[in-house]
Amino acid sequence: MRETFEISDRFIEAGDANELLYEPLRGDLSFRRTRRYEIDFEGEENNLVSFVEKTLKDSISQELNRGEDSAFESFVFALEYGMKPGALDLEKEAILSYHRGIENPGFELKELNIRQRIYLFGDGANESDRFIRDICNYAIHNWSVIPGEK
Amino acid sequence: MEERPRALLLKFPGTNCDEETARALQVVGFSTEIVPISALTTETLDGVSLVMLSGGFSYGDYVMSGRLARLVTEQKIDAGLREFRDNGGYLLGICNGFQILTQLGLLPEGSLVENTSGRFQCQWVKMKKQADSPFLSLLPDEFEFPMAHAEGRFVTMSAEDARRYRENGAAAVTYDHDVNGSFEQIAGLQDETGRVFGMMPHPERFLYREDHYDPDWKNSAPDSAGSGKEKWGSGYYLFRSLYESVTSSN
Repeated sequence: MRETFEISDRFIEAGDANELLYEPLRGDLSFRRTRRYEIDFEGEENNLVSFVEKTLKDSISQELNRGEDSAFESFVFALEYGMKPGALDLEKEAILSYHRGIENPGFELKELNIRQRIYLFGDGANESDRFIRDICNYAIHNWSVIPGEK
Repeated sequence: MEERPRALLLKFPGTNCDEETARALQVVGFSTEIVPISALTTETLDGVSLVMLSGGFSYGDYVMSGRLARLVTEQKIDAGLREFRDNGGYLLGICNGFQILTQLGLLPEGSLVENTSGRFQCQWVKMKKQADSPFLSLLPDEFEFPMAHAEGRFVTMSAEDARRYRENGAAAVTYDHDVNGSFEQIAGLQDETGRVFGMMPHPERFLYREDHYDPDWKNSAPDSAGSGKEKWGSGYYLFRSLYESVTSSN
């Protein structure tokens, strides 16, 4: 079975998207970041959710969205990126190592895929190529662009 | 020979301020031992007066700062640090150590998130003492420390919680202006026992007068003039306050 969890920050306001780029944008765009955890597992789903809430989410400063839907609406586009298969993902290894150390986790964690999403909001054009060029590292990342409904 | 109180400095992968913090603790009178988290057991805490969580980037700040350090610590010794505190032990967390103490639930509820600037901020900050604390007793009402963090904005579930911390003395130290977006400008917290204390700025980086950016900076502590203590910076007084509290309670 697969479950997807997206974690967003409650207290971090949308920032100026120019901060992500080497050269200024033509239009006005702001951004917000989230992290998405795609988890293949076997076992009790409630135990997986408990694990995610304890391990990956901060109860005070973060919100958790479960499922495939995006955490935000009305975005121009979103850039999702993460480590290529085979590239060393130390965050993933740390989480898996912690899970292995739990005596009775109540589920088997088969696969964990960590992705970062940057949502772009505003009136600017979809200049996703520039964001890919300046944010993603071709040697270690793969990525996709999710078009917004706007 | 007088026996020095023992300070145990926990080292996680990514902790990088432990050596200089150990030196600061030694200067004021502690004996120190740096223990990697992999070697930690509940027995390690026997005979220890202070558990020190130093600054750095434990586990690369993966997931969020202090999170994995908390999980691994709980996995190693479960509620051992809570029992250590309940038995009279002291805990001090600086920068990443403060983040870890917050995550462990050993300080009033809150979280340290990205600065409102969205940047890593490395600068000197003026701070104000807001409540009595065993960690601050020898410091004047206002003092300076260097800070260096990206996730140092203290937030609570509601703004009212942070206001309450200011009123009841849990927020023992604040910045003197809005540095990073912290609610109520909170820079450091203590628990209800006063023996658990965490703050973002780095006292170990201002142990000596000459550590200050202003070469004319003078130690204004009441006991410094003509006493040979002119050489100390504000950080010395934080660690010395702690030492005096620990030795007087032993």
